[in-house]
Amino acid sequence: MKHEFVDKPDFGMVLITFEAAGESLTVESGAMVARDDAVEMTTKMKGGLLSAAKRKVLGGESLFLNTFTASAAGQRLYLAPSPEGDLEQMTLNDEEYILQSGSFMAASPTLTLDTKWAGFKGFFSGEGLFFLKVFGSGELFLNSYGGIHKIELDGVRPYTLDTSHIVAFTSGLDFNIRKIGNMKSLFFSGEGLVCEFQGKGTLWAQTRNPGALAGFLHRFRRVERNTN
Amino acid sequence: MQHAVKHGPSFSTLTVQLAAGETITAESDAMITRTADVSIEPRLNASRSGGVWGTIKALFIALIRKIFGGETMFVNDFTASQAAEIRLAPVMSGHIVHRRLENERILLQPGSYLASGAGLSMRLQWAGLRGLLSKEGIVFVEISGTGDLFMTAYGGIQPIEVDGSFVVDNGHIVAFETGLDFKITTPGGGMLGFFGSGEGLVCNFTGKGTVWIQSRNTGALVDWITRLLP
Amino acid sequence: MNIDVLYRPAHSMARVELSPGEAIEAEAGAMMGTTTNVEMTTSVGGIKKGLKRLFGGETLFRNTFRAVGSSGEVLLAPSLCGDMTVLDVSSGGWFLQSGAYVASSDTVDLNTKVGGFKSFFAGPGFFILNATGQGSVLVGAFGALEEVKVDGELIIDTGHIVAWKADGKLEYKVEKAARTWWKSLLSGEVLACRFTGQGSVWIQTRNPSSYGRKVGLMLPPKKG
Repeated sequence: MKHEFVDKPDFGMVLITFEAAGESLTVESGAMVARDDAVEMTTKMKGGLLSAAKRKVLGGESLFLNTFTASAAGQRLYLAPSPEGDLEQMTLNDEEYILQSGSFMAASPTLTLDTKWAGFKGFFSGEGLFFLKVFGSGELFLNSYGGIHKIELDGVRPYTLDTSHIVAFTSGLDFNIRKIGNMKSLFFSGEGLVCEFQGKGTLWAQTRNPGALAGFLHRFRRVERNTN
Repeated sequence: MQHAVKHGPSFSTLTVQLAAGETITAESDAMITRTADVSIEPRLNASRSGGVWGTIKALFIALIRKIFGGETMFVNDFTASQAAEIRLAPVMSGHIVHRRLENERILLQPGSYLASGAGLSMRLQWAGLRGLLSKEGIVFVEISGTGDLFMTAYGGIQPIEVDGSFVVDNGHIVAFETGLDFKITTPGGGMLGFFGSGEGLVCNFTGKGTVWIQSRNTGALVDWITRLLP
Repeated sequence: MNIDVLYRPAHSMARVELSPGEAIEAEAGAMMGTTTNVEMTTSVGGIKKGLKRLFGGETLFRNTFRAVGSSGEVLLAPSLCGDMTVLDVSSGGWFLQSGAYVASSDTVDLNTKVGGFKSFFAGPGFFILNATGQGSVLVGAFGALEEVKVDGELIIDTGHIVAWKADGKLEYKVEKAARTWWKSLLSGEVLACRFTGQGSVWIQTRNPSSYGRKVGLMLPPKKG
């Protein structure tokens, strides 16, 4: 499978060219832009019907995944994410990454997506804080709201990141979620939860905060009329 | 008129130089700057046929564009009395592409129209009943004549040469050449695919010609943000 | 303090290097990340001033980020995609649209009381700030930034204005966009600003209110 970015980093798209019949890619719901008609699409619910029904849908995640399979070499598939922002591709070689679930765009079927990973259980979680673990070998495509800023952690200096700005991080890092400032700060200051990362590894951050966009748009919404 | 597109591919603006007496027509709310010698005349956004029938037809087209395309009913004619400069931009973030039409026709998604010079007229083309099920609404705008057309999009604009059968998500179509046949269909993946795939209706293009696609789609933006709203 | 703006123009992010003890003030919600030795405090800035800001639409509180013990780094970004730039107020003040403010040195004074701008309307909650004093102001745009020259006269849509120098060289008047009020309403432009004089104005290539209205109307309604 070949990939070529279009307009990167600005609101980019990716062109996937399948190199053999039967080659396929698992893609987040809603990400298909265009394809050669001969590429087949199948849809399934993440983690099976029962687990999907039990799980709340939060944080930019959707319940479905689509699989696109080529019937011949050279067939094309254009993909684009929903947010205004960038895309990144990573080739995993028996590795493990933690992703914010809204940042997942596509993956080779050889990679395992663990959507039930609960590494952040046991703290006060605001909306939008769902993470998933990706491991194995294969191609992974991520998206961001805004651009992607890579932070290398050397094991000496820790780094604090607003949780809404997390795209992905290598699973070897230690992390600790806390509120920033005191209680008053939490309510008024606009910043909610932060994650303190320590150890050696890499952290990918997005340069825009989806919650801030939701907050900006909220004042332009129509008001629901009471049906009294 | 002289024209230049700057700040692409995400935040493009169109800067035009108008000679005295020259007019450019632009989508409502598109103006950023203008020099002092320019008048603004709003009118219904369909071709300027005269008389009562012409006005009724224009009103109908404008209404349809508004209901199905979410577009404004009015466009503005900017006319320069002296040499003037105007900067225009669309509401959504994205690129602007210029296309000179020489006695040709081109089909646009209603939201892709930004501005045009003299000599072009606008008509509606239905895309079939199934189009009514689509979030985007499926009415295409046909622009014809000889003149300058400025198309815009949500995101970057990518031309694709179709030679065979090609499928595009409805929300990502900017424009296409009239030589192509098109059919609106469900995205595939059976019933689960239609309701669950997150893909809206798609348009299957067959034949030979160019389709312009955009890299973002407002339906997907709405779905994504809605999950984050209080 | 050193401010670097990266990933211009669409995804701009400001990387601020603070010397030990140095501080920067930033709009609530603008912080992306910091080295862990940066402390955040919420400054109320005087209740009266805070209330004025609340009614103006800007959020009530600003945050102060201070490097403790050693030098520190703060990453800042606004809420909409677009460019950012640093304006120096030490050589003279600046007028900026309130939505464009991201951060400033703690030696900069921000005043919302600017005479003659009461009629300025670029959307719900947008008004003019006057930044004076010493240091820098970080402004963020929705879209790209362009510095347009005013050579005599230029009419600019209110929602696209970011900032201009408060050096008295430009006069500013809000007026109806077309010849009549009816035409102004239909045109979608409604109000425009006529700048006269010699100078330049920083504009943004997208209008936050137009975008907010267009997308906001597509979103599910909120509880009243």
